[in-house]
Amino acid sequence: MISCKSISKSYRKGANVVTPLENLNLEVPRGEFLALMGPSGSGKTTLLNLISGIDTPSSGTLVIDGQNIADFSRKQLTKWRSQKVGYIFQLYHLIPVLTAFENVELPLLITSLSRAERRAKVEEALDLVGLMDRSHHTPAELSGGQEQRVAIARALVADPPLLVADEPTGDLDRESANSILSLLQSLSGECGKTIVMVTHDARAAAAAHRTLHLEKGVLLSEDPNLARA
Amino acid sequence: MTALLSLALKQLLRHRLRTVLTVLGVASGMFLFTSVETLQSSLGAATEETAADTTLVVYRENRFCPATSRLPEHYQDEIRRMPGVREVIPIQIIVNNCGASLDVITFRGVPEGMLRKFAPEIEIIAGDDAEWTRRDDGALLGEQFAKRRGLKPGDKFDAVGITVHVAGIIRSPFAQDNNVAYVKLPFLQQASRTGLGVVTQFNVRVHRSADLKPVAAAIDARFKSDQLPTNTKPEKAFFAETAGQLIELIGFTRWLGIGAVIAVVALVANAILLMVRSRVKENAVLRTLGYPARAIMFLVVSEGGLLGLAGGVFGAGLAWGFLRWQSFTMGSEGHTLAILPEISTAIFASVAALVLGVIASIHPALVAIRQPIVKSLRS
Repeated sequence: MISCKSISKSYRKGANVVTPLENLNLEVPRGEFLALMGPSGSGKTTLLNLISGIDTPSSGTLVIDGQNIADFSRKQLTKWRSQKVGYIFQLYHLIPVLTAFENVELPLLITSLSRAERRAKVEEALDLVGLMDRSHHTPAELSGGQEQRVAIARALVADPPLLVADEPTGDLDRESANSILSLLQSLSGECGKTIVMVTHDARAAAAAHRTLHLEKGVLLSEDPNLARA
Repeated sequence: MTALLSLALKQLLRHRLRTVLTVLGVASGMFLFTSVETLQSSLGAATEETAADTTLVVYRENRFCPATSRLPEHYQDEIRRMPGVREVIPIQIIVNNCGASLDVITFRGVPEGMLRKFAPEIEIIAGDDAEWTRRDDGALLGEQFAKRRGLKPGDKFDAVGITVHVAGIIRSPFAQDNNVAYVKLPFLQQASRTGLGVVTQFNVRVHRSADLKPVAAAIDARFKSDQLPTNTKPEKAFFAETAGQLIELIGFTRWLGIGAVIAVVALVANAILLMVRSRVKENAVLRTLGYPARAIMFLVVSEGGLLGLAGGVFGAGLAWGFLRWQSFTMGSEGHTLAILPEISTAIFASVAALVLGVIASIHPALVAIRQPIVKSLRS
């Protein structure tokens, strides 16, 4: 599903060149739930941004579902994101004036689906995250866990094969976090979604099939202690 | 497209305070713009000659205002005999204010029975023609005049030291007739102490618009050597000359209209720019979801356009209703400029506001799409 070969990312910050990712190689098979861990500044969010197509690598190839998105133009990347990726943010990033239903409907507004088709898909996604009864509530009327479920429904509604999640439980209490992790597990296991999740939390990472560690832009082995040795 | 427009509308409706304040600002600008455009178009209608114009005004040469134009009534017979003349009516004019005024009261004294012959297009919409014939002090009030003063048939009306009985209300396709009070000529001559046999002017109807200039020249030539020479002009040219200062003043208001337009653009641009800046993350999220740049631009521009349209419809509608309700007139030397709002002006102002809203949103829309997604999400 995801194949990163010699991926590097660098950018200028004032007079300095910063390289958050360097010569990274990664393979993620379809349907895998992968957790990326690492200290702040290790490059895990940068990697997630590259995989989700909201940023582009400075060098290397990034093949997702058979397409090297590193070569895509901005326009191609935009279209690709709308079809292939669902992004889950740490702080949910729901639009505050829209209801849960309307937030989930957002990715479908730029498709050719009819209003009835959109309604059916939104209801299906809200049902999947267990929030049908809250569909007409605004984010301010929902708990943090419920907001994140709405954000997951929004990421799912266009049925993308890949979900990327940037610390999806980072702002939640333990109970809500467990419920979100269970949901992600079922999306991977039952729905066959490939999930790449960045987290600081070892308990959250434990819910994934595999955990990889990043440090200073370099991918370590699954056991960071072994890699350092 | 409809779905995105609906999303833009939701954003406006659910940011109620910001929307209401912006719409009120735009509405104020468009109220001013519509009022200025109405002034300009009313002035245009009163002074620009058209092929349908067939009326001349014969005034005394070197006159200043109606009070100083004194012509013998018997000129009427000589003018009527001239080639190209269809009808002549002697008119005595008494005004409450000779200079430019916003609330001018004009009495026009005309010979009994001649009014309908001279202006058959006049229609009595309230009251009684017989009452006007029967009473010496009977007056037929122009529709706008009566509306402005709140007068109806049967009322007594007193102005400029003259008391009249309202016999009826008239409506005419000519704005001048709708803003004056017609009374009988002998009554006005006596009540104003002008004296019988003396009138202010003659209104002359010619057969065709092309006859205006030759007939005017012929009239002035005929009385050139007379004790009381005349100055004859098409009615609209006459108004344009007498109301020169008024026209200059109205010409200046065009700058106010331009100022209103600039204010609307600045207001919408500012509101949309603030909106874009407050929604940097929202727009970044939409782009993460796969919204193309043109969809983001469409959303931003739609909000600007809708704000402009709402403010335009509200402001222009308000100006139209207000001017219609108030029936303002400006007068100068006995001629009135009726400020008549037209629905086409209100529609034009609303469409202009929509266009201004769209134009004002283009820069903010470009700002919304230029910021890199990752940077916006971190902001």
